[in-house]
Amino acid sequence: MSDSKCIMLIDREGYMVTKTGHTEDFDMQAISALVAGSYAATREMARLLGEEEFSVLFHQGKRDSIQLTLVGDRTILATVFDERTTIGMVRLYAKEASQKLDKLFEDISQREDDGSEHIGADFAKTAKDQMDAVFCD
Amino acid sequence: MKKREIQSKLVYYGPGRGGKTTNVLHLFKTMSRQVCGKMVTIDTRGDRTLFFDFLPLSIGKIMNLNIRIQVYTVPGQVLYNDTRKLVLRGVDGVVFVADSRRGKIEENIESLENLKENMAEYGLTLQTTPFVIQYNKRDLEDIHTVEELDRALNSVKAPTVEASALTGEGVFPTLKKLAGMVLENLNQRQASSAMRPRMLAKEPVAAGVREEAPAAPPAPRRVVRAAAEPPAVVKEQVATGVKPVERRAPRVAPRRESVSRRAAPPPKAQAKRPAGGNRALLYIVVTLVVLGGAAAALYYTGVLGRLLG
Repeated sequence: MSDSKCIMLIDREGYMVTKTGHTEDFDMQAISALVAGSYAATREMARLLGEEEFSVLFHQGKRDSIQLTLVGDRTILATVFDERTTIGMVRLYAKEASQKLDKLFEDISQREDDGSEHIGADFAKTAKDQMDAVFCD
Repeated sequence: MKKREIQSKLVYYGPGRGGKTTNVLHLFKTMSRQVCGKMVTIDTRGDRTLFFDFLPLSIGKIMNLNIRIQVYTVPGQVLYNDTRKLVLRGVDGVVFVADSRRGKIEENIESLENLKENMAEYGLTLQTTPFVIQYNKRDLEDIHTVEELDRALNSVKAPTVEASALTGEGVFPTLKKLAGMVLENLNQRQASSAMRPRMLAKEPVAAGVREEAPAAPPAPRRVVRAAAEPPAVVKEQVATGVKPVERRAPRVAPRRESVSRRAAPPPKAQAKRPAGGNRALLYIVVTLVVLGGAAAALYYTGVLGRLLG
């Protein structure tokens, strides 16, 4: 709708949760870590200024720009866009998406764990063997 | 399609000039590109870390789970404590890179105390979090013995590794040790969580898991990501914001449009799909503008005067 290039959902610890759009050109993991870092730093800045936090961040570039919108208190919606759309459009739809996602996450957090995603008991042993293979000098 | 993934965050902590970045740099230089992603460093001109260094590692699949490790370093300099605290958020394992040189013991102790304080702010302790101490710079001559360092720094009896980050010695064993502890810890946490899932469900740090994977275990912090491919509903929501780029004709408008001009979305597009509240507001504004325009036209043509008598 907003004609953005790509959208990422990143949690505040720096992990990318999901992405959509044209993301092949970007190193998503590095961007996620930096977005989380940037957000954390901005939050501290907000506190020093007497604000609780800044819920929207915007970095403008010559070609691409990025807007970060807080979703709930744990995730960040990062929208990368270029001159083919406007920041107003991005802001409008990001705000709407953020509210819907927040509601969705709230609903999910209410659900009970049915144990279907638990990892196996011998996971640690298998993991150690794999570590030996990967971290050999 | 569900994609199951375990992500963990390891942080290299320690005094300034202790070799944290050198450790990570060695990993980056020597590991294969399949395992190791792009390294990001945010440093000052003098090569001192300003915010953090970041290196993503992809270990491969273990029991149908993709294992990803994110390695961070913190800035060692005393004045960057706020930044160190931020990097520690959501940490799964810590390496303390101690400087073995004589005369550095005070700095080591100070940094270790600082680590304890910062971890306490997130409700973590060195005893309960996977923790490894690396005695770095063992290749130099004027250094403390391991026993001396143990006495001064290792009151928690953490595993220790002797290393020289510059030559690469001990770098891999340190990471291997910590990564193994983190995964083992994950296993244990899950086992214990089976008995008390409800209590842990309220754990504030347990971020990502429940968000993206409704049925994921509540105990390991954000660890099992069961749906990197978004769940149906998320996908629908997120997709509303994006269109494939090819489908669009390039705009002729000049690129350097000012932000203030761009800030106002075209009313036509806004009317297409505005939120409920926005729509009502839009109608009111349009009605007022039309009434105002009509009144002005009537006034100027003198019709209003005649009508009012």
